[in-house]
Amino acid sequence: MHSSSTSQGDNGLGRWLIYGVLALMALVYLLPLFVMLVTSFKTGTDIRTGSLISLPQEWVTDSWQAAWGTACTGVTCDGIKGYFWNSIKMVVPAVLISTFIGAFNGYVISKWRFKGSDLFFSLMLFGCFLPFQLVLLPMAAMLGKLGLANTTTGLVLVHVIYGVAFTTLFFRNYYINVPDELVKAAKLDGAGFFTIFWAILLPISKPIIMVTIIWQFTSIWNDFLFGVVYSGADSQPITVALNNLVNTSTGVKAYNVDMAAAIIAALPTLLVYFVAGKYFVRGLTAGSVKG
Amino acid sequence: MAKLDLIDIRKTYPKSDLETLKGINISIEPGEFLILVGPSGCGKSTLMNTIAGLEDISSGEIRINDVDVSGLAPKDRDIAMVFQSYALYPNMTVRENMAFGLKIRKTPTTEIDAEIKRVSELLQIDHLLDRKPSQLSGGQQQRVAMGRALARRPKLYLFDEPLSNLDAKLRVEMRTEVKKLHQRLGTTIVYVTHDQIEAMTLADRIAVMKAGEVQQLGSPYEIYNHPTNMFVAGFMGSPSMNFVPITVLENSDGHACTELTGSDGKAQLLALPDKLKTYVGKKLMLGLRPEHISQQLSHHSETDLISAARFNIEILEPTGPETIAQITINDHAVHCRLAPDLSITAGQDLDLMIDVSKASFFDPDSERNILL
Repeated sequence: MHSSSTSQGDNGLGRWLIYGVLALMALVYLLPLFVMLVTSFKTGTDIRTGSLISLPQEWVTDSWQAAWGTACTGVTCDGIKGYFWNSIKMVVPAVLISTFIGAFNGYVISKWRFKGSDLFFSLMLFGCFLPFQLVLLPMAAMLGKLGLANTTTGLVLVHVIYGVAFTTLFFRNYYINVPDELVKAAKLDGAGFFTIFWAILLPISKPIIMVTIIWQFTSIWNDFLFGVVYSGADSQPITVALNNLVNTSTGVKAYNVDMAAAIIAALPTLLVYFVAGKYFVRGLTAGSVKG
Repeated sequence: MAKLDLIDIRKTYPKSDLETLKGINISIEPGEFLILVGPSGCGKSTLMNTIAGLEDISSGEIRINDVDVSGLAPKDRDIAMVFQSYALYPNMTVRENMAFGLKIRKTPTTEIDAEIKRVSELLQIDHLLDRKPSQLSGGQQQRVAMGRALARRPKLYLFDEPLSNLDAKLRVEMRTEVKKLHQRLGTTIVYVTHDQIEAMTLADRIAVMKAGEVQQLGSPYEIYNHPTNMFVAGFMGSPSMNFVPITVLENSDGHACTELTGSDGKAQLLALPDKLKTYVGKKLMLGLRPEHISQQLSHHSETDLISAARFNIEILEPTGPETIAQITINDHAVHCRLAPDLSITAGQDLDLMIDVSKASFFDPDSERNILL
C-alpha cells in the first residue's frame, strides 16, 4: 500500500514536471510569433518607448493596412497586396500541375513497370537532392529560350519541374502499397490505362494528395531564390516583396509594418496546414489500402 | 460456357534461367470445374495469370472456344477472375463494384440494374449493395468478389485461391457455396488452390502441378486412388500416404508377398498382388493410405489382399471421428486410421488389418507408379 501510494505520488509529480517543461518549451517556441503579433498592432512611438514583449498601449491596425496597401517595396509604394496575388497565381497552378504529374508518374512507375522503370525512378529520386543553386543558370538560359523569362508562367514551370521529383516519390510510395490485384481486376473488367488511373487509383489517393499539396504549397510559397531570380518586376512573389519591403529604408524603420507583412506572407501556409494538416500525418503513415 | 485449350504453354521470366511453366497441355470442356493444385512456387498462379492475359507466355497457345487468345489483352478475352485478396475497388460501393465492368462495356443501365439484381439475389448480398467494401466482413467481401465476376457473364471464370483468406469455418461454408453455384450455373471454371481438400471436394478434374509441370490430370477419384507418382500420392490426402520400402518376395504357394518389420524387429508376411510377381527380388516403394490400415474388422474376412499383422501402437491422435495411430514398419513411421471407440493406449500391441488391394507401388528411383 505504502509503496504504491508513493509511486502514484511520484507519477503525479513526474507528470507535472513533464507538462511544465513542455509548456515552457511551447512558450519559448511561440515567443517570436507573440512578438510579431503585438509589434504589428503597436504604433511607431509605442515600439520605441515600450519593451519588445509588452502589450500595445493602444491597439491599432494601421501597420496592417500599410503593409497590405501602401508600404514601399523598392520603388513602388503599393504595399504587398499585388505580390500576394502574384504568389497565389504562381502557387495554385504550380501545386496542382506538379501534384497531378506526380500522381501520374507514381501510377506508371508502381503499376505499369517498363524496362528501365526502376532506373527512371532512381533518377527522379536524384532530383530531390539537387540544390536550387545548381539549376539556377541552366534554368535561366532555358526560360530565356522559351521566352518565359520574367513571367509567372516561367516561375510555375520552374516549380513544377523541381517539384515533380518530390511528388513522384510521394505517389510512387503510396501506390506501391496498393495491391496489384486491384489493377489486375480492373484490367479484366475491361478498364484501360487511363480508366484505371481515374476510376480506381485517384479516388483512393486523398491522403497522399493532401500530403503533396501541403508539401508543395509550403515549399513553393516560401521559396525565395527561384522567385528573386526568375520573376520580373510585375511577377515577383510575396517572399521577394517582403524582402524588398524590409530592406527599403525611408527614414525610420517601421517594424510594425514589417511584422504585419511577414504575418500576411505566412498566413496562407498556416491556413493550408490548419485545413489539411490532419491528413498530413495520416497520409505519411497510412499507405496500404485494405479492401 | 466455353471450352479452354492450353497447348504447350511455356513461360520463362526475363532474367531467369529456369522455365516457370514447362509445356502445359490441358483441355477444359465447357462447364467443367478444373482445379490447379500444387505447392507454392509450382507455377499454378503463373498459369492462371497467363490464361487471364495478365502475363505473357513465351510459347504455346491459349484457345478459348478454338480461338487463339494468347495475343489478346485481358479485356478482350472475356474472362472474369476472383482474387485471393478479393481486390474490390475500395472507393466504390458493392453495386458500383459489380457494375464497373458492365459500364466499361457500355451495357445499358436497365440491363446493368437487372444483372446486379439477379447476381446479388443469387449470392444473397442484395442487402449490402450500398455499402463500401471496408464495411463488409471477409465472407461478404468474398461473395461480392464472386458477384462482380458473375455479373459480366464471361466465357470463363478464374478463381485464384479465393478461400484462403477466410477462417476455417467460413472456408468450408463458402466451399459448399462455390460448388452449389457451379452446379446451378454450369460455368467453366479454372480454380487455383494449394488446399488438397478444396481440390478433392470441388473439382471435376484436378491438375496436380509441381515445378512448372502437370504431374497428373484426372478426376479426384483417379488422383486419389491411382496417383501416377509419389509426389501426387503424397500431396493429396491428409494424413498423407505412407511410403514403406519393401522387397518383393515369393511365398511357397507361388504368390507375391513381402516382409514387414515392426519396431520389435519381428518380420510378418504381407500378401501382394500377383501383378508384382515380375518384380520378385526387387525393391519397391509401397504406398499405403492411412485408411488402408485399420483395426480388425469382423465383416472384412481375410482375403488374398487383406493381411493381418500385429504392430506396436506408438502414438495415438484422436480427432473425433477417427483416431490416427502411428506405428513403425521397416523403420518408417506409418499412420493408420482406427475407429475412435477402440480401447487401446499408446505402447500397446494391436492386431491390424492391411488392405493392399488399393495400395500403390512405386519405383524407388523414378518414383513412378509401376502399376499404371
